[in-house]
Amino acid sequence: MKNIVFTISRQTYKSIIANRATLALAVLLGLSLCLATYVGWQNFKLQNSQRLHYKQLVRAQWLAKPDKHPHRMAHYGYLAFREKHELSFFDFGIESFAGVSIFLEAHKQNTVNFSEAGFSNGMLRFGEISVAMVLQLLVPLLIIFLGYNSIAAERESGTLKILLCQKVSWKKLLWGKTFGILAVVLSIFIPLILLTILLWASLSGWAVSGDSAIRLLILIICYSAYFFIIVAITVLVSAFSKSSRTVLTSLLAAWIVLIIIVPRITQAVGNRIFPVPSKLEFLDQISSDVQKQGDSHDANDPHYSGIKDSLLKAYRVDDVKKLPFNYGGLIMAEGERITSGIYSAHQKKLNKKFQRQNSITAMVALLNPYLALKQVSMALTASDFETFVDFQNQAEAYRYGLAQKMNKLQIDKISNEKPGEHDKPLSISRSNWAEQPDFNYKFKFYGKVVQQEGVALAALALWLVMVILLLQYSPRWIKTV
Amino acid sequence: MKNTYNLEFKLFFRSTSAWIGILVLLVTGFAGLYFGKTFIDKQNRAIEKAAVLQQKNTQNNVKHFGNDIGLFFFHNKFSMANVPQPWAAFANGQRDVNPYLISATMLALEGQLYDTEISNPVSLLFGNMDLSFVFIYLFPLVIIALVYNLIAEERESGIWPLLKSQTNQLSKLIWKKFMVRMVTIYLTSIVLFLAALIFLHLPIDQNLFAVTAITWLYLAFWFAVSFFVVSLSKSSSYNASVLVAMWVLLCVVLPASLNLALTQRYSVPEALQNVINQREGYHEKWDMPKEVTMKPFFEHYPQLKQYPFPADETFSWFWYYGMQQMGDDQAFESRKSVAQKLKLRQHFTSIAALFLPTVQTQLGIDEVAGTDLNAHLAFQEAYRSFHEKTRLQFYPAIFLEHGIETTKVSSTKLEAFTPDTIKDWTRLASLSLLTILFLTLTLRNLREIQIVK
Repeated sequence: MKNIVFTISRQTYKSIIANRATLALAVLLGLSLCLATYVGWQNFKLQNSQRLHYKQLVRAQWLAKPDKHPHRMAHYGYLAFREKHELSFFDFGIESFAGVSIFLEAHKQNTVNFSEAGFSNGMLRFGEISVAMVLQLLVPLLIIFLGYNSIAAERESGTLKILLCQKVSWKKLLWGKTFGILAVVLSIFIPLILLTILLWASLSGWAVSGDSAIRLLILIICYSAYFFIIVAITVLVSAFSKSSRTVLTSLLAAWIVLIIIVPRITQAVGNRIFPVPSKLEFLDQISSDVQKQGDSHDANDPHYSGIKDSLLKAYRVDDVKKLPFNYGGLIMAEGERITSGIYSAHQKKLNKKFQRQNSITAMVALLNPYLALKQVSMALTASDFETFVDFQNQAEAYRYGLAQKMNKLQIDKISNEKPGEHDKPLSISRSNWAEQPDFNYKFKFYGKVVQQEGVALAALALWLVMVILLLQYSPRWIKTV
Repeated sequence: MKNTYNLEFKLFFRSTSAWIGILVLLVTGFAGLYFGKTFIDKQNRAIEKAAVLQQKNTQNNVKHFGNDIGLFFFHNKFSMANVPQPWAAFANGQRDVNPYLISATMLALEGQLYDTEISNPVSLLFGNMDLSFVFIYLFPLVIIALVYNLIAEERESGIWPLLKSQTNQLSKLIWKKFMVRMVTIYLTSIVLFLAALIFLHLPIDQNLFAVTAITWLYLAFWFAVSFFVVSLSKSSSYNASVLVAMWVLLCVVLPASLNLALTQRYSVPEALQNVINQREGYHEKWDMPKEVTMKPFFEHYPQLKQYPFPADETFSWFWYYGMQQMGDDQAFESRKSVAQKLKLRQHFTSIAALFLPTVQTQLGIDEVAGTDLNAHLAFQEAYRSFHEKTRLQFYPAIFLEHGIETTKVSSTKLEAFTPDTIKDWTRLASLSLLTILFLTLTLRNLREIQIVK
């Protein structure tokens, strides 16, 4: 039994390799993969080194600021840059459509700006060539070309009947063909993966992190499963169809529908069902909520005058100037606490809406293995939506920490007496600036990513089980002639 | 003669694949119209809302900060909308990536101009489903599906020798088959254009002519390519493989590779440098003597010298707005180099588009629809002049510390910008040339078939 499967797969492998046209196609694809690896790596290096350069510049400028009022520093703020994950050279994901830098200042939450897409005049919308793109889009196309006549051609030439007379069962034939084609695909894929690992290891200066290694391992398993699914479907369609032409046209049509058309439609439907506000509306909602909570600019605001009264009572003084700490700093800290709480709640709601928009595509992944793999791949290479949201959250947490740190410095170190119109402004020593650490984005732990991509991983597993069952049990419905 | 055409049409419409192809185009076409229009409608609604908010927020600010004119202009935002053209619903272009509302205070503009609109990066990645997508991606596929087995089918079903023996003008017969398919596809495109005219309220003008011309030429290109492959007289599977490979190359692989080359060659770190320059240019002035700010400020605006500058006061709004101005002025060079980079990118793309009909057509349609990068850059430029006008209008009142009511700022309205539609007829030239090239090759091949007979 094992032997026959092996013989068939070896035969299939040999005949594919012997065919010059398909071999040329396979070699071409292999070369484009190497190119994609190289260019992806170059791109990663260039982008990350630019961001690192500006990150260091921003840090140096922060530390070099002279003595000044801490609130000036809070307004000077910080610039944070979104770092790329070391595996992002493999899959670009949403990288080019998400902003790169964000200005973090007191009182105000800014947008992440300067995405690659903003500098593009439209060519970007046709896609970006990356290792993931070649593996997700083009390898299935190669598989279709290699495998569409795997069984249909035997049927057309009459060899199928002979084969089935010679102790070869349908089941063995299907498995044999599947393994044969898979072997061709893997003989391109495996050297490439080795190359990828080498490149990546050299990228991180041969200091490979365990987290990334596991991410890559899961990626390799998922891509292999994806290829197996596509090969099995191709062989099955080839077995069930009357002519090889029907196999080819129906597989090509499926490829186009599942890979080109469906993602656009699901995403457009998601946007339609779960609309998000425009930025002006969004900011308007926040500012009206802030006004409801209390207005720190208004001297007669009940919330803030309440704080003032209780402070005066507790310290038994009749004027805020007599308080043993800086009253303005305290009020600002309270204002920052309220506004950033309201902002974060709104931002959370907005992100939830985005997640809902994306959930349509995520659900369709159950019917579309391409979408399932795409999501897993983007998540594991940290080029997905969730990583972007995580970056925004960490940046906002840093912004809040910076603003409150400066408020604290003002409360503790700035006098309550306002200087006169012509006096020198109050300031504190520049040695305080170093206390504010640099912003460093921390990528999520791989386990969390796996958990978050549960649906997509389950979809892939489901497809895998389904094609295995079909290979095993569908032969009873196949017509030989 | 007429009769044989009738017969060919009958034969053609007897096959289910013809009906499926037309149906797919019509259904996705109408879906494209619907989603394209919803997208633009949403932006139009947001712009209407922004007009209301502009007045509401200004009045709010007058209420809160009205007794301190400098503080009022510190908070008050002035908005401008990039109002979509009717054709924008046909081709959404970059309107999802770039903000269509710019809202900024009178402070340094370079720190505010590039703020993005709220958008879902995943949706941006997958792209919009508009009618231009249907024309550029799906029409070629249906053309391929209808044409790829034209000769091969006859050959594979054994009719070919029969046909050869019965007619002297084989190429004419093939030509008729081609014509039937072309007429069908073009009629389908006319149906969709008519639907777009009605549904999107498009005016009948030069723009309509420009979009139709480039779209039809694009379809002609795909017919020429398909005819060429068919005229090689190989098997139908071979034709299908080659044509789909062509499609994948032109719609995905080549533009994607060239785009990567573009990002690699013309990356834009200047944009990040610009932010840093603006930030330092303004903030460092706090720690410097006031003349460091005011000397260049008065060089920039000699006409503002007439207003008395309170040099002995620790803080004045005059100085503050001067410092903010320095942020923009010190970012001038980096801003110019960003613009220069973008120009280089445009140049690279326009050369690449000469060889890629897909990119050429998309750029051509976006250009007419005013949804391309150039339209957005023009919008930014318009906002810059508006910002400058606003500054010059209100600087005197701030520097003289006039009451807010003297400025009549409460009546400020949302500014509207309408992008120019550009019709670059030279785009048609490259498309025509490629089409003619493939048609000539096809005719040569068809003549050979004739001779072989």
